[in-house]
Amino acid sequence: MAILEEPIKEVSLIKNYINGEWVESKGEIKDVVNPATGKVIARVPISTNDEIEAAVEAAKTAFPDWRRTTPLARSRCLFRLKELLEENFEEVSRIQTQEHGKTIDESRGETRRGIENVEVACGIATLMQGYFSEDIASGIDEYLIPTPLGVFGIIGPFNFPFMIPLWSAPYAVATGNCVIIKPSSEDPLSQRRLAELVDEAGFPPGVWNVVNGGRTVVSGMLEHPGIVGITFVGSTPTAKYIYKMCGETGKRVIAQCGAKNFMLIMPDCNVAGTIPALMTSFFGNTGQRCLSGAVLVIVGEDDGFYNSFMDAVVDTTSKIIIGNGLDESVQMGPLRDKGKKERVLGYIESGIQQGAKLRLDGRGEVKIVGDYPQTCFIGPTIFENVTPDMKIGRDEIFGPVMSVMRAKNLDEAIDMAHSSPFANGHAIFTSSGKTAREFQYRIVSGNVGINVGIVAPMAFFPFSGMRDSFFGVLHTQGREAVRFFTESKVVIQRWL
Amino acid sequence: MELNTASAVVSFAKKLEEDSAKFYEDLSRRYAKDKDVLLSFAKENVKNIVQVERAYYGVITDAIEGCFAFKINPDEYTFKTELAKGASYSDALAKAVEMEEKIIKFYSDAAEQSKSLMADVPRAFVIIAKKRDNRRSMLKSLLGKGA
Repeated sequence: MAILEEPIKEVSLIKNYINGEWVESKGEIKDVVNPATGKVIARVPISTNDEIEAAVEAAKTAFPDWRRTTPLARSRCLFRLKELLEENFEEVSRIQTQEHGKTIDESRGETRRGIENVEVACGIATLMQGYFSEDIASGIDEYLIPTPLGVFGIIGPFNFPFMIPLWSAPYAVATGNCVIIKPSSEDPLSQRRLAELVDEAGFPPGVWNVVNGGRTVVSGMLEHPGIVGITFVGSTPTAKYIYKMCGETGKRVIAQCGAKNFMLIMPDCNVAGTIPALMTSFFGNTGQRCLSGAVLVIVGEDDGFYNSFMDAVVDTTSKIIIGNGLDESVQMGPLRDKGKKERVLGYIESGIQQGAKLRLDGRGEVKIVGDYPQTCFIGPTIFENVTPDMKIGRDEIFGPVMSVMRAKNLDEAIDMAHSSPFANGHAIFTSSGKTAREFQYRIVSGNVGINVGIVAPMAFFPFSGMRDSFFGVLHTQGREAVRFFTESKVVIQRWL
Repeated sequence: MELNTASAVVSFAKKLEEDSAKFYEDLSRRYAKDKDVLLSFAKENVKNIVQVERAYYGVITDAIEGCFAFKINPDEYTFKTELAKGASYSDALAKAVEMEEKIIKFYSDAAEQSKSLMADVPRAFVIIAKKRDNRRSMLKSLLGKGA
């Protein structure tokens, strides 16, 4: 099958986008490598503290005028951005595949969800309306005005380089704030393209800024008194640190993080419909997402069902086509880099050492469609006889590894899920409404799937998370994001 | 090679539409009698491509089984568009009917297999399968008129 054309053809030095201009960084430079081909596709700066300072200054300067810009005028900028994203949909998607390694279907899905957030934020004129009570006392009225706060920092992860900053940024600017986005330095190219389109859409200088880099930029954002809030998606230890730092510096924060999602399989599930959902859940995005299935729990003591179900899972998994995501036949791309592959291999070794049964081994030479280096590729792996105390049963692996457990009944399966400190996206597969409702009611999980393996909320719902999967109160996306990016100003008014 | 991903199936649908449009354009040049009808088929193919791509790009989400929904063997639906030297108009129409049947089967199978995707995708496939079924009836009627 033909390989789709790569949009990034030349290695360029990525610049920061500050105050409506592309500015070269003085920081150290790092290569951006396409994990499928092993080729360098760009060079990204690790920006300095002075550069984050300049971005904050630009955003702070832009804020008063942007705040005074009417909500409708702000939403028109977003409408133009939406149109530009539609026009450049395919290019933006292919950039994601090149920079991250995911399949083209996955990249297009990511682009679409990003655009959906822009679309929802376009409705800001009604989304951020306040409310009013007349005559709360004689001749006195009271009303609430949602007001923007200032400058927000948005820290993006590597696994959804385009979409995740869009869970926050459209709502932040729609409500009248200014933003500084720090893309992952591993895959910053789609954010550069997004900033180019933002520029073309006519956002005033300083409203939308992008500063590339690593810890210096993050620390600069956390410590800067000019930044009023942070949204972050990444690992749980970093999220905890960010949450703590934001508490200390008086910033509001949304910190979305790790997961270990349990997929419960009831014996009455629709097997034919469940298997493809599990493939997407466990192996989609090469397992690098916080909504990936991690543990498959087969419920019930029927060995016949267990064996036939697992045979089907293993058979389907073993046929997954692996390769460069720009090849349309490919169902699973590489991991983002060699270090991540080594980490996943380490987990597979630990699973073997701790006594789990390796049913499908993703180590060794991977059968890749096309001529590509093995460097970042790994095959899908399935372990049986996993227990919650094993490392592979407990830790977030962030790779294409399925750990299979068995539970006698629904109660035990829910207890297993609750034994994990994470609570991001547990799911159940069943044809019983009663069982599904019982699960939905009892499970502690920010997002709950019923016959859905990737519980990714639409843009008009919050992307939830509980326990060690989320730190904060409000979430990204939809009305909660609007609430997060505004402060409630309550006015009590009497004319004498 | 089997088509497994939504992207591959959408590209294949586009190829079927383009190949069959070219076939009708060729026929319209060779058989002026039904030129308008044949050209209208080619034009409709362009609309079909738009309809499929709009459905796919409009609802694609990485959360649904985009990479795992399909098991389409393209060999079952491919067709040859070359006409033998000296082929009559009836031969050409018979070939067109045969081609439409393969395309209808493709869209019907793709609709069935993509039920796990957002509704727009299988719906687009079903609508186009129906349109092509109507086209097949028209072709048969032209054939029956002793073309």
